[in-house]
Amino acid sequence: MAAIVLLVAFVIVIIGYKFYAATIDRDIIQANPKKATPAVMYNDGVDFMPASGSVLFGYQFKSIAALGPIVGPIVAVQWGWLPAFLWLMLGVFFIGWVQDYASAMLAMRNEGLTMGGLAYKFISPRARGILLAFLYFYLLLIMGAFGAVVAGLLANPVVPIGLLILTLAGVLAGQMTYRWKMDLVMTTIITVLIALIGIWIGTTGPAQNIVNWINGLAGSGAKHVLYNTPYGPMTWPVFFWGIVALAFCYLGSVLAIWRFAQPVNYVSFWFVALGVVGSVLGVFIAALFHTTNISFQVPAFVTWNQPKLGWLWPMLFVTISCGAISGWHSLVSTAGTARQLEKETDALPVGAGAMFTEAVLATLSVIFAATALTKGNTIIYDAQHLYGLKIGAGGVWMYGMARFLSWIPGISPAMGGAIGAIFLAVMALTVMQLVLRFMRVASAELVGDKIPAFKNPHVGSIVAIFFTFLILWTAFWQRIWVLFGGANQLFAGLALLLVTIWLANEGKKHAWAFWPAVFMYVTTVAALLVVAWKSFRAMFAANTSAAFIFGNAVAGLIGLFLAIAALILAVDGLKSLAKARAKAAAHAGD
Amino acid sequence: MTEEEKRSFLTKMMHNLQDMIYGMASHDMARQALKTRGSMEHLFILITMGDLLGVPILPPYYSLRLLPYVVPQISTWKRRMLRERDLTDALA
Repeated sequence: MAAIVLLVAFVIVIIGYKFYAATIDRDIIQANPKKATPAVMYNDGVDFMPASGSVLFGYQFKSIAALGPIVGPIVAVQWGWLPAFLWLMLGVFFIGWVQDYASAMLAMRNEGLTMGGLAYKFISPRARGILLAFLYFYLLLIMGAFGAVVAGLLANPVVPIGLLILTLAGVLAGQMTYRWKMDLVMTTIITVLIALIGIWIGTTGPAQNIVNWINGLAGSGAKHVLYNTPYGPMTWPVFFWGIVALAFCYLGSVLAIWRFAQPVNYVSFWFVALGVVGSVLGVFIAALFHTTNISFQVPAFVTWNQPKLGWLWPMLFVTISCGAISGWHSLVSTAGTARQLEKETDALPVGAGAMFTEAVLATLSVIFAATALTKGNTIIYDAQHLYGLKIGAGGVWMYGMARFLSWIPGISPAMGGAIGAIFLAVMALTVMQLVLRFMRVASAELVGDKIPAFKNPHVGSIVAIFFTFLILWTAFWQRIWVLFGGANQLFAGLALLLVTIWLANEGKKHAWAFWPAVFMYVTTVAALLVVAWKSFRAMFAANTSAAFIFGNAVAGLIGLFLAIAALILAVDGLKSLAKARAKAAAHAGD
Repeated sequence: MTEEEKRSFLTKMMHNLQDMIYGMASHDMARQALKTRGSMEHLFILITMGDLLGVPILPPYYSLRLLPYVVPQISTWKRRMLRERDLTDALA
């Protein structure tokens, strides 16, 4: 079944790319390879600089595919694997690629403006202000959603030592490249080997003993529990390793980028790439030689109303963002890719191609989850593996990946588990350290003039960490994940609205961008309001702790803020769209 | 497909694959290095050619002696300095 689902995904993305996307690129956008792009016109060797389509495909794919296409589908499988798979396929076919590709074209045809500039130009000055405030909360939610996954993974005794050695290998890579000026290939081979050996060391007994000793510092058994919430206990290991993860991000935020964030991400990339290749190899080996072991354990459809997450509509559509559609991509497409495209015709393989590829990665994630979990509304792992969403989406991925990797000769299940866990942890941490870096820049820009202390990188980073800390240790993770998805999808809705207004201004057909924008707006605002309502209601539940009340208040307020901001942007956007349509109609009348 | 066409196709595929891996692994690093160089260049031109912005830091004698070396950078420097930016610019 897994192989069939993967095959269907391949067929759908090929049809979507070759027929639907290519037709729109040719007939409506009319990409012209002879037209000068901003990268060529404004080539300054820094921000605007032409690069080949293949380089940009790699750049775009790496920038968009992080934890989102992995964790979202795993959580969404709780409604059944078919709804998750259908949303991935329909989402990417009708909406996802449209946003990624069209936002790159929009920026390219408007002198390489970024989302802020485009919102200012096409909607209103107020729209840009709202967008930037919105962005800060969005980044905060990324930190909260990803941070909780990392904290859970680090509590596993096989993970921390391997991750520490990988980090040190990254720092060494920076030193070798920038200080000792060593050859990059040699640097890569040495540091990636050190990282892999480190991961193996992490699985050995003495290394696990060290981590177990740390995990047991607060006592054993029930003493591990620091405090209870209605969503489950907060244990000492998760609490402690969460602080370690934030300390890691702090270093990434305040140190020179070449010293820590960039080389650590570089070594992590190779590790993640090897992990993806290994997993795909494992799937094929499993499909060829172990067919009975990879049948789906989760029914195609479980329920319309998942007890923890809510109704399939609207919640599924924000639980899975990356893989189907994600607003983050529009930020990458406009600020990064559009300024480097050498030819307009490269936008299709880069923007749409990378998005369709990400949908296949997300499908792989659905397969991992669906083959690993047992059926029923309360999803847990089968008796043999004993884990499931009880240990979080990170745990599901870890054991799913371990299962497939262990079919490759020479990789033991323990090693596979360590690779799976570290794979996910580095994917999250590489994004988190850059997000924290960006949050401190954002706080300096937004409030630095009024409160000069925020211009200090340490102050901006510590404030951002403090907010993340509050979210991590007081809120219900699955709700934070949905809020993150909601903010992400609203960004996507906004990007699609901008594309629609631009197309209307140009007098071109725009229904293919307008209806996806409407769908994304309605669905995400509904989801945010549901989350806000649930959070506020939970505050008044009986026998709750102060942390629980605070966490729900924060989640509720963020949800409400995002929904109101989205509505204001929608009203302004629709006014601009009406003006653009009237202008186009007047031109047609002339 | 002739033997030569096959070879050229394979060469092209290999080249594209190399580019793609570079794009995933190192393109970000290269851009970051260029951005760092760009920032240093901003400072250098500001110090040496501050007169262009009405900020006379270096005596004009030295500025004039350096001018021929800086001329090729002036147009892109001005564009970068004067381009309106916001937070979303810092993302990529």
